[in-house]
Amino acid sequence: MSLKGWLGRKRALAMMGKRTSTRSIQPISEKLQDNIDMVQSTFTLTPDLVIRTFESTFVEGRAALVYLSGLVDKNSINNNLLRPLLNPSEGGSTSILDLLSVGSVSTYVDFPSVEKEILLGSSVLFIEGRREAIVVETHGWPQRAVEDPQLEASLKGSHQGFVETGIQNIALIRRYIPNRELKIKELTLGERGSGKISIMFMQDLVSQDVLRELEGRINMLTVDAILNTGELEELIEDDPFSPFPQFLTTERPDTAASHLLQGRVIVVVDRSPIVLVGPATFASFFQNVDDYSTRWPVATFIRLLRFTAFLVATFLPALYIALVSFNYEVIPLDLILSVGESRERVPFPPILEAMLMELTLEMLREAGVRLPAPIGQTVGIVGGIVIGQAVVQAGVVSNIMVIVVAFTAIASFIIPNYDMASALRLLRFGMMGLAAMFGIVGIIIGLMALIGHLISLESLGVPYGSPFAPARYADWKDFFVRVPLWNMKDRPVSARARQNKRQGDNRLKGDDK
Amino acid sequence: MTGIGKNEITTIQYVLLIHGTQVGIGVLTMPRELASIAGTDGWMSIVLGWGIAVVASLLLLNAMKHYPDKTIVEILPLLLGKWLGNTAAVLIVLYCLFGAITVFAYSVSLINIWLLTQTPGYIIVILFIIPLYQVMKGGVRVLGRYSELIFYLTLWMFPVLFFTWPKLNGIHLLPLFKEGWKPILQASQSTILSFLGFELAFFWYPFLQRKQYAVAGMLVANTLSMLVFLTVTILCYSLFSPDEITQFTWPTLGLCKVIEFRFLERFDIVFLAFYLFVLSTTGIPYMYLTVFSTSRLLGSKNHLGYLKLILLLITVAAVMYTPSFSDLKKMVDYWGRTGMVIGYAIPCLLAGLLMFMGKKAGERSG
Repeated sequence: MSLKGWLGRKRALAMMGKRTSTRSIQPISEKLQDNIDMVQSTFTLTPDLVIRTFESTFVEGRAALVYLSGLVDKNSINNNLLRPLLNPSEGGSTSILDLLSVGSVSTYVDFPSVEKEILLGSSVLFIEGRREAIVVETHGWPQRAVEDPQLEASLKGSHQGFVETGIQNIALIRRYIPNRELKIKELTLGERGSGKISIMFMQDLVSQDVLRELEGRINMLTVDAILNTGELEELIEDDPFSPFPQFLTTERPDTAASHLLQGRVIVVVDRSPIVLVGPATFASFFQNVDDYSTRWPVATFIRLLRFTAFLVATFLPALYIALVSFNYEVIPLDLILSVGESRERVPFPPILEAMLMELTLEMLREAGVRLPAPIGQTVGIVGGIVIGQAVVQAGVVSNIMVIVVAFTAIASFIIPNYDMASALRLLRFGMMGLAAMFGIVGIIIGLMALIGHLISLESLGVPYGSPFAPARYADWKDFFVRVPLWNMKDRPVSARARQNKRQGDNRLKGDDK
Repeated sequence: MTGIGKNEITTIQYVLLIHGTQVGIGVLTMPRELASIAGTDGWMSIVLGWGIAVVASLLLLNAMKHYPDKTIVEILPLLLGKWLGNTAAVLIVLYCLFGAITVFAYSVSLINIWLLTQTPGYIIVILFIIPLYQVMKGGVRVLGRYSELIFYLTLWMFPVLFFTWPKLNGIHLLPLFKEGWKPILQASQSTILSFLGFELAFFWYPFLQRKQYAVAGMLVANTLSMLVFLTVTILCYSLFSPDEITQFTWPTLGLCKVIEFRFLERFDIVFLAFYLFVLSTTGIPYMYLTVFSTSRLLGSKNHLGYLKLILLLITVAAVMYTPSFSDLKKMVDYWGRTGMVIGYAIPCLLAGLLMFMGKKAGERSG
């Protein structure tokens, strides 16, 4: 059985074993004590569960308020629920619902829904003699403040990054697009840790095909829980065997808003500070929100730098190996002499030398990422000394190899998207192997395979290689170059927007100046 | 319909697909062949060959117009009846297969001779299988994207050839019409083979998005190829003397050998390595069409199984037998001859047939 078939089978088996909850829908009892017993038997070993019974002049008999203490906003409960219930104002309203000064109040008649609401941070009010529970939204779970994005730092963009609460993230995006065409489709995903997945799009821009495709893929999933956006991404992407990311991920509301306005779809996963953007193209991983706020010639220069960096990061070590060990006749005599001089003391073949250095570099990088900042710095210093001085002096690695590795490392840091930069790290090793075995021909064949892969990839059914293959010349305005903003009058074709026109003629001309 | 579905190609992709198929192994040897037949006047045969190719391709498109959403292997049974038509279709598929194998084997032996002298041929074949599979599994539209992208990627190679400028000597081109028209006409026979590739419009036409540009696109493709052939030939002619040029097996690569940079000594190696891209755009369409048409003939909508099969067969064949260079020359020769029939004779016959049948069909539908 092929690898793909085996993985597919595993997925199918997981689907078959889907836990079907056959518990009959339990209605809410008329007796308060029955309800309390029911709650207590459901939530055993749950010390954070609070059941507050009280008697109110307003309700006939007793009432009970149930909530999970960590997930609710205590102020809201004290001021808006308990206070009006315990001290009802004179001559007030007759309905209990009118008494609660909380935005969202609803009633449920079955236990499973009530249980779910409690787990999500609502407070539930049971009243003696009523066959329904009043569910009050009092969410107030631990939250982080809106901070500067970590992965996508920007010089001139906003300093608000997404946080771990889906509703807040949606609000952050909505701040940029206060428009009624901004629609949100909410799905719930996860058998055990069910969470909300919100698909956001501009109703009048988005391509229905893309939207349907995305929604269909998310709806097909049955998982325990989606803990992170990355998990969702991997489950719904087009080609799981590709090293390339097929969705753009961002932690910046302004980037998300910009993509929405271009007609793309955004998936906000509750509890994750990163949102998915689709359909993505290869070129979109080389764009950054700062590109649009710096002057366009500068932005163009930086773009070109990034694409050069892509080539350098992928092919430079391979080229070094090919030229030194295979196709040395290509380099002129003077150069090969100086290279030979540098390699004089090195006992290893170039591939081993390169692998050694590249692996050291990758380890250093990985070590630096996970360590706390003070130790991380030490890693950098140790690595710097090792790579910079000691290995060369010891005659393990040649000087030129150090230059190659340093150059490659810098080039891979320029790529603005972390996922894409990681993909390049992987490709580099493949190319090095090919170069060591077949020299320049190996590199060319590697490039051919890379191109073949890139142009046949798709993201949500939209070609990944756009705008270079298939060539969409209209999109080249925002590809290698970033033309002045007033020139980008149309939305990118690769976003498949339904309305093409983006802006009017904003350029001052002639006497207007 | 024929299940073309999303597999559409744009006009530019169509142009570059045809152009990519035309510029291939022929360019490497063309100056020598022309010089050996027509001497210094050989380059004029290219223009002549271009004219013939254009006429043939226009006839072909005219014929295809009658069945806008069917490829040739589906049209033939309709025209000639089931048995005869299917036999003809099988012959065309075999032609494609032969073309694919010729280009592939030629490329591999070229690598073997120039770049990887120590590596056995079958290892190179196995190496090539991965990118070939990557490109071909996506179908016609990925093929179109590939040809398009490769065209841009290899665009730099053409102007670089002009670095030979200081060493060129225009006197080698003179005199014009040294021996009259006869040798020029004779040599044009070998040039029209280099224009082969347009006959694949038999297959591309149904996938073309805007069929009204089919003719214009064909003209552009043929002209582009003609310009490439002409420039390379004239450069070779003016660099080498008329006698010298016949000594080179691959005069075009000799041209690159002359070019030297301060940082690059053997430019021909880099050139040839990148030329693999150009060769791939020649070979891949033939190989894909073999697979595609086979799956159509056998009534299957999915070509992936056949693709894997053919790649496996090629690998096995390569392991068992490595063609010698004289074998390859013979293969190219045979392929050229069958290409003459498929590319030049069939369009004429088809056009005549359809003109005759078209009237009948018109009466029927009218």
